[in-house]
Amino acid sequence: MLKMTHLAKVYRTEVVETYALRDFNIDVKEGEFVAVTGPSGSGKTTFLTIAGLLETFTGGQYHLDGVEVSQLDDNARSRIRNEKIGFIFQAFNLIPDLNVFDNVEVPLRYRGMKAAERKQRIMDALERVGLASRAKHYPAELSGGQQQRVAIARALAGSPRLLLADEPTGNLDTQMARGVMELLEEIHREGATIVMVTHDPELAARAQRNVHVIDGQVVDLAEEPRFHAHAHVAHS
Amino acid sequence: MSIDVLPILSTLRRHRLTATLLVLQIALTCAIVCNATFLIGDRLSRMLMPSGIPEEQLMRITVSDIGARGDVHARTVTDLAALRRVAGVDAVTVGNSLPFGSSSWTSGLRLDKAQKSPSIDVGLFYGEGLSDVLGLRLVAGRRFTPDEYVWVDDHVTRRAAGANVAMVTSALAKRLFPEGSALGRQVVIGTDTMRIVGIIDRLAAASVSARDDLNDTVVLPWRMIPAYGGGYFIRARPERAARVLADAVAALKAVDPRRVVVEARLYPEIRARYFATDRAMALTLGVVSMALLVVTALGIVGLASFWVGQRRRQIGIRRALGARRADILRYFQTENFLLASMGIVLGMVLAYGVNLILMRQYELPRLPLLYLPVGAVALWILGQVAVLAPALRAASVPPVVATRG
Repeated sequence: MLKMTHLAKVYRTEVVETYALRDFNIDVKEGEFVAVTGPSGSGKTTFLTIAGLLETFTGGQYHLDGVEVSQLDDNARSRIRNEKIGFIFQAFNLIPDLNVFDNVEVPLRYRGMKAAERKQRIMDALERVGLASRAKHYPAELSGGQQQRVAIARALAGSPRLLLADEPTGNLDTQMARGVMELLEEIHREGATIVMVTHDPELAARAQRNVHVIDGQVVDLAEEPRFHAHAHVAHS
Repeated sequence: MSIDVLPILSTLRRHRLTATLLVLQIALTCAIVCNATFLIGDRLSRMLMPSGIPEEQLMRITVSDIGARGDVHARTVTDLAALRRVAGVDAVTVGNSLPFGSSSWTSGLRLDKAQKSPSIDVGLFYGEGLSDVLGLRLVAGRRFTPDEYVWVDDHVTRRAAGANVAMVTSALAKRLFPEGSALGRQVVIGTDTMRIVGIIDRLAAASVSARDDLNDTVVLPWRMIPAYGGGYFIRARPERAARVLADAVAALKAVDPRRVVVEARLYPEIRARYFATDRAMALTLGVVSMALLVVTALGIVGLASFWVGQRRRQIGIRRALGARRADILRYFQTENFLLASMGIVLGMVLAYGVNLILMRQYELPRLPLLYLPVGAVALWILGQVAVLAPALRAASVPPVVATRG
């Protein structure tokens, strides 16, 4: 699903070159739930932005769903982001001027989907995260946990092949974080591929596999799959 | 791709105050510019009214005598003889009026002596051989014969009777006698009954208030004298006109060095002076309209730039969720189109209202409906051009802004 080989990302100024990622290798199979961990400044978010085609990279190769993305133009990258990737951000990134319904609708509009199908998908996604009754509310009228659920609904509405989550519980209290994490686990059990960046070891422990990043490099790719008890029980 | 009209309207509702201010600004601009453009067009069409004379070939000299005038008829004949000797003079007479020449002689025209109030007010033109000097084109009938002319002062004081014939323009002829030819028909001008012997193509009045009355003019066989306010009308080839004017002034001064030359102008200058107010009005309205359009354009640029800056993260989020650069560009263009449309709709109502006030207060004509769609298109184009730069800046916001702000 997501394969990076010897990938590099260099930020250049007139006087200095900074390697955000260096010889970065990762292979995420379809249906996996991978947690990418590491200290601040290790390159986790850079990895996620490149994985989500939000940024270009300097060297190496990146295959997403079998497509080598380095030669794609801006429109093709936008189309892949829209059709194949769902984003969940730490700061929720809802559009404050739009209500819940309209927020979830944003990626579907860029897909050129007909209004009736959009409405169906939006309401299904909101049902899924338990916020169908809040469709007409604005983000400022919701709690942090609810806002993140709306963001998840927005990511799910487009039926993406890959879900990228950047510290999805970073701005939530413990109880809300638990609810969001359970939702992600549920989505994963239904077959979604999830890559989650986090610096929270407890959260990472609930993923299927951990990838540790230090100084822009993956340091342990061979870690054995670990299943959280909750997920294990759910599978059995 | 689906147009974001409803979400944009929803967003605008959340920014009601700023959106309303811009809509009002566009509405006011629409109302003022529509009316101003109409008024400018009206003034320009006035300024382009045809005079019916060979403008580049004509000039006028007016003089004022000091002291006893003596025999004004003999004096006039002497002056005309002196002017005919000036090299380059093709024709010369003493006339009372020139089209758009400000000095206007008018009289009420009746179709019957029993008629109490005039049918129409007409501009009177006279001067021996005036139709030749002014190059008037005869379309029917004949010109005056030499024996039909009478000195104007003799006519006024009844010392001599005129031939009581007249030439009228074809427009006036049709207006007076729509059912048939005006030739041979009689009209009463002042107290004199005149028979129409000639119809000329056109001759604009000396002073025009309403466009429809432009060619309500009559030529009479009266010899004009300077003492009655007449001027020397001279015709010469355009390339020699300036030189002829100077030489003609010198010739008149040579006849009587004590006389004062009040005016010596080529006709284009006379016409330009007549329309000076119209030109100034059109220029002022044009400058004000342009300033208003520029201010409105700057308002659009300012607000769009502010919103692009304010929404930078939102734009990044939209890009992250799959919006192409073209989608972002179109978002801001659509938003501007909607704001402009609201302003234009309101502006059209205002334009109509402003025109009603102008009609009532200043007797201006009704604003033709054509000006409204033309104004609307102009403001839509203005809005789209003004918003382009901020919208392009918005479209260049990279999707990574969604994660890094």
